[in-house]
Amino acid sequence: MGGAKVTLHDGARVAIIGGGPAGSFFGIFASKLARDMGKALDLTIYERKSFVTHGASGCNMCAGVVSESLVQTLALEGINLPPTVVQCGIESYYFHTLDGSIEIKSSRLSQRGIATVFRGSGPAGSVAKGIQSFDDFLLQKAIEHGACVKRSFIDRVCMEGDKPELYSGGNMLQDCDLLVGAFGIKAGTGKMYEDIIPGYKVPPTVKTAQSEIELGSDWVAHRFGHSIHIFLLRIPGIKFASVIPKGDYITISVLGKDPKADHIKAFLNHDAMKKFLPSGFKVPEKFCHCFPKISVGAARKPFARRTAFVGDASSTRLYKDGIGSAYITAKAAAHTALLHGIGEKDFREYYFPTCKSLNRDNLFGQFLFAANHLMSVVSPISRSYFNIVRCEQKSLQKNTPYSDILWDMFTGSRCYKDIFMRTLHPWWIIYLLGAVVIYPFKKAVFSFINR
Amino acid sequence: MSEDSLLGRLYKDDEIIVEEGTQSRTMYVIQGGKVKVVKSAKGSETVLALLGAGDIFGEMSLFDASPRSATIKAVGEARVLAIEYEGLLKRIKMDPTLALRIIKQMCQRIRDLNGRLISAQRTMHHTSDTLLQLKKAEDVRIKDLEPKIITIVTQLQEKLHAITEQYVHQGESLHEY
Repeated sequence: MGGAKVTLHDGARVAIIGGGPAGSFFGIFASKLARDMGKALDLTIYERKSFVTHGASGCNMCAGVVSESLVQTLALEGINLPPTVVQCGIESYYFHTLDGSIEIKSSRLSQRGIATVFRGSGPAGSVAKGIQSFDDFLLQKAIEHGACVKRSFIDRVCMEGDKPELYSGGNMLQDCDLLVGAFGIKAGTGKMYEDIIPGYKVPPTVKTAQSEIELGSDWVAHRFGHSIHIFLLRIPGIKFASVIPKGDYITISVLGKDPKADHIKAFLNHDAMKKFLPSGFKVPEKFCHCFPKISVGAARKPFARRTAFVGDASSTRLYKDGIGSAYITAKAAAHTALLHGIGEKDFREYYFPTCKSLNRDNLFGQFLFAANHLMSVVSPISRSYFNIVRCEQKSLQKNTPYSDILWDMFTGSRCYKDIFMRTLHPWWIIYLLGAVVIYPFKKAVFSFINR
Repeated sequence: MSEDSLLGRLYKDDEIIVEEGTQSRTMYVIQGGKVKVVKSAKGSETVLALLGAGDIFGEMSLFDASPRSATIKAVGEARVLAIEYEGLLKRIKMDPTLALRIIKQMCQRIRDLNGRLISAQRTMHHTSDTLLQLKKAEDVRIKDLEPKIITIVTQLQEKLHAITEQYVHQGESLHEY
């Protein structure tokens, strides 16, 4: 039984656990390809959460940024994000350090190419604002492609027979030809699969802190514009904080070692952030915040016979573009299942390389973020780097290697390996080191002249 | 529709997005509004197609690196998302199926062009049959009919151009890709 070739036949039953982006993408691409191959699949997505409810109960707790490359890729796939889903089209990134601020735009395309979205239907109290959930938008696309959504919570999966059997509250709901784990990084659910799928282990995670603050659309548009703001302020316990404009709200995302609500408050009370807030703004006693975990590694063996894990339950890009990783893994798993088969060997041979490629790339990402952190804490280097970038931004028509590295790192537009290789260019290093040496010398000369 | 929540770049009415004869390898996806595909010759403009939200254009230069084959202009305000060439190539290398939709659209356009070609050939055959009948009936040389034919064709061209312009300004789709 174990070695026999298993494929998805016409009318095969596919159960997808989780209706977030990874689950919906799998539903969309499996259904599309099956139709092209002249097959029909019986696709069921199990998602307990309703994304059309407001507040935490309908939210998948994420910064909600759809990267430049994913916006373009989805447009090519025929999935264009409607204005009700996109809260703000982003055209630039601002980097704020203790030495000043700098705006970086893409040197490649001059357009609003990044989308900010709410994963749910918006924070509590945003009922009348007409916000459409990004996750619900994708789920509806999956339904359009023929998937069926059930609100049951799968609390037991039995792998005793040849086909996985799904249970909820002690009742068997169905058996399936293929089980797709798209449950994100829910610890309880992950543990259940670790127990039944030999070799599977959920990816390691770190805690982040997030908060939604309502400032009004005029204020948000005026102060934050069409830009995501990254703050590298050396606040204890915070690696960096980002502020993402979304209509009436800003989303604050804090990355650090075990961030807490106090870290969000410390950030909001920092002078560099205060100037972006209305005068007299006080952090409310109760404000919308959460501490979602993000995956920072890879799941071990994210596949088995008749089973594949996708999205955060499998592999994801370090710190960036989680939705983009969901797209990549879900599509690769769907195509493997339909084009090659659903045996363990098929997934190892055709799906796992995609995960491994993401995992390998994250090694370069780790180096880049470590280098970025080091640079942000060593003033002469960060000052020199930002000076070079500032000069580059004055003439975007010319070559802008230093800006491009920051842009690609923080927007997730290029893979980390690609960015890393560019940082190894001898001229890149020599010019930066030269700037580090020359800057204090120039400063000393000017201060002597002006004395 | 909030202007803040639209992606891509905003083009004003009649603004040129892509100019015929220029070199560029960017392709585009329409996010909102409409654009027209026009071909210019001897000072007059012929509208080849009207495209709307979700449609792709500029994909030919991705593959053959030739100059743009037609001009694309906004009809009213249009928001268009540019797809960067280098990034797209890298993504297609990782996932070749990403090119399928572009290929499907190109196939659709080839089918459409074939349809137009057949229609044009039928018209030509019809015209030549009519001329032969006329020659037999009136016993005149084809050359003598030339001024009359030119007048008829010019009138037809003007009529077609007027209809096309009317469609474009009414915002109706002449041809949905």
